[in-house]
Amino acid sequence: MSATRGRSGGGATTSGCGLKRRNAPQDQEDSKMMNQDQPSTEDWCGRFWNGMELLKDVTERKHFLPTGLEGIDTLLGGGLRQGQLTEITGPSSSGKTQVCLHCASNIAAKQMGVVMYLDTSNSFSPSRVATIIYGISDLFGQRGFELQPKDARLKSVMRSIICESVFDIFALFEVLHQLEVSLLNDKVNNGGSKVCLLIIDSISSLLAPIIGGKYPQGRSMMISVAVILKKLADEHNLSVLVTNHMVSAGNGAVKPALGESWKAVPHVRLMLSRECQNNICTATVLKHTLMASGRTAKFAAPS
Amino acid sequence: MSYTGSAPASSSLYWKGMESSGDPHPPILAGAQNAWDMLSDEQSQKHITTGSGDLNNILGGGIHCKEVTEIGGVPGVGKTQLGIQLAINVQIPVEYGGLGGKAVYIDTEGSFMVERVYQIAEGCISDILEHFPHSHGKSSSGQKQLQPEHFLADIYYFRICSYTEQIAAINYLEKFLGEHKDVRIVIIDSVTFHFRQDFDDLALRTRVLSGLSLKLMKIAKAFNLAVVLLNQVTTKFTEGSFQLTLALGDSWSHSCTNRLILYWNGNDRYAYLDKSPSLPVASAPYAVTGKGVRDAVSSNHKRVRVT
Repeated sequence: MSATRGRSGGGATTSGCGLKRRNAPQDQEDSKMMNQDQPSTEDWCGRFWNGMELLKDVTERKHFLPTGLEGIDTLLGGGLRQGQLTEITGPSSSGKTQVCLHCASNIAAKQMGVVMYLDTSNSFSPSRVATIIYGISDLFGQRGFELQPKDARLKSVMRSIICESVFDIFALFEVLHQLEVSLLNDKVNNGGSKVCLLIIDSISSLLAPIIGGKYPQGRSMMISVAVILKKLADEHNLSVLVTNHMVSAGNGAVKPALGESWKAVPHVRLMLSRECQNNICTATVLKHTLMASGRTAKFAAPS
Repeated sequence: MSYTGSAPASSSLYWKGMESSGDPHPPILAGAQNAWDMLSDEQSQKHITTGSGDLNNILGGGIHCKEVTEIGGVPGVGKTQLGIQLAINVQIPVEYGGLGGKAVYIDTEGSFMVERVYQIAEGCISDILEHFPHSHGKSSSGQKQLQPEHFLADIYYFRICSYTEQIAAINYLEKFLGEHKDVRIVIIDSVTFHFRQDFDDLALRTRVLSGLSLKLMKIAKAFNLAVVLLNQVTTKFTEGSFQLTLALGDSWSHSCTNRLILYWNGNDRYAYLDKSPSLPVASAPYAVTGKGVRDAVSSNHKRVRVT
C-alpha cells in the first residue's frame, strides 16, 4: 500500500474529521506531491469513497478471522471481522481468556498473520496455547507442513504470537503508539508478516482504576483508547479483540463494566457465561453490526 | 490432553539452520516476547510446593511464579496455614528441589503466629531429611541452611494496621523488591480485612483495589515471583438464596490470575481451583497437620512429594 498522505509518523495525531481517510491505490502520485507541501484541509480530510468502492474493499480486505470455536464463529457470522473492534464480556472465569487464547492460536496456526497479545493479568499461558495448537494441528498438516517435525511446526506457529504485558493505561498508550509506528513502517517497506489481530485481555482492568469519581480525566483517557483502537483497526485492517469485566447492576444482576460511553465503542459485543461446576459456556450476542442480537450459542470450554 | 513437549534445549541444534532465516525485520514491539520463547521460559520455571501432593497436582505443580493467586475460604479452613506453609516452602534450598528464595509476608489481620511458623519450618526440614536421607553427611553449609531459625530469618514480615498502610506497603514493595532480588513470593494475609470496614465509598474502593491488583500483577511479572492473596468470604444474595462468595465484589474477582477456594466437605478440607488460564477446574483434599499443610491421610494413593 502507499505511504501516509503527508502525515509524518501519524502517532500523535488524532482523527481530525468524520470522513473516511484512507489510501486508495490511485492516490500514489499525488501523495508524493503533497509530501512537500504543508498539509491542507483536503489532505486532512482524505478522499471520498463511493459505495461500490467500499463494497469492494470490504469483500477483498475485511475478512472474518475464525476463532476456531464453532459456536462463536457461527454467532459472529464467521469470526472476528478485520477493521472492527470486538468485545467479549463476562463474569470472572467465564472463559474470556480461553476464547482469546483460542483465537490467537487459531489465527497463528492457520498462518493468517501475526497476533499481538496485550496481557494485563499475567494470564497469557504459553503451555495452554501449545495445547490448543496441538488440538488444531491436523488442520494445517496438509500444507506441506508434515515435512517438519512437530516441534518445528509448533515453533513457527508460536513465534507469530507476540505477547506484551501492560499494567497501566500509560503503558498501553505507549505500546499502541509503538505498534502504530511499526505498522506504518511495515506498510512503507511492504515487508514483514502482517499483524492481523490485536488482543487486549483485559481492557477493563486497565481502565477500572481511573474511571469514575469526580475527575473527568479517566473518562477522556478511555475515549482516547477507543479512538486509537478504532483507528488502528481501520487503517491497518486489524481485527481488535478486547475483554471487559462485568459489574453488579444491583439486585444481583450483572452488566458489562465501563458504562454507557464505552458501550458505543465496540462494533460487536459478546457476552460469555459459564455454569457452575461444568465446562459448558454460553455466548450471547449483545450487539452486532450485521446480525440480530440476542442470539445465543453453547460451546464446551476447551479443556 | 496436556502439552508435554520435549524441552526446547534438546531441539536447539536442529534449529540452528532455521534460526538465521528467522526474523529479518525489526520486532513489531520492542520488549515484547513471542509465545515460543515464553513457552521455554515457562518450562524452565519451578513451582512453589504447597506441601500437599494432591494440591500441587490441581495447581499444575504448585504455586506459579509470575502469577497472582487468590486463595479464599471460610475462617478456620486453613488460609493462613497455607500462607505460612508457602512462606516456608519457597525457602527449600535449590539442591533439595526448591526455589531457595525468600518470602515477604504482609499481615493485615495479625494472624501470623511465629511459634506456628517455627513448627511448620521444623516439619518442612524433617520432611526434607526424610526424602534426602543421604544428605545427612553433607557439607556443613547445607546443614546450616536447614535450621528453622534460618527459615524464620528469611521471612520479611510487615504488619499492616489500616488500609492506608496497606496501599503504602504495596506501593513500597516495588522498591523493596528491587533491593531484595531473592524474594520469590509475596503473601498478603488478607487483602480484604481493612477494605471491608470503614470504607463508605464503594466505587472508590473498587478503583483503589483494581489499581492495587495491577501493581501486584506488575510486581509478579517484573520480579519473577508469586503473589498470593488471601481473601475472606461473604454472603451474596442471588436467585433467592444466600450463597458464599469471595469478598470485595465482582470487579475484584477479575483481578487475579488463579483462584483457589478452600472449603469444608464434611470433616475434610478440600481445595477447589476455580479459575486458571491454563488448568482445568478441579478439586482435591488436603489436611492441616502439626507439620503444616500435607496430603489428606485418607488419600489412598500416597504420592512422593514433587520436588
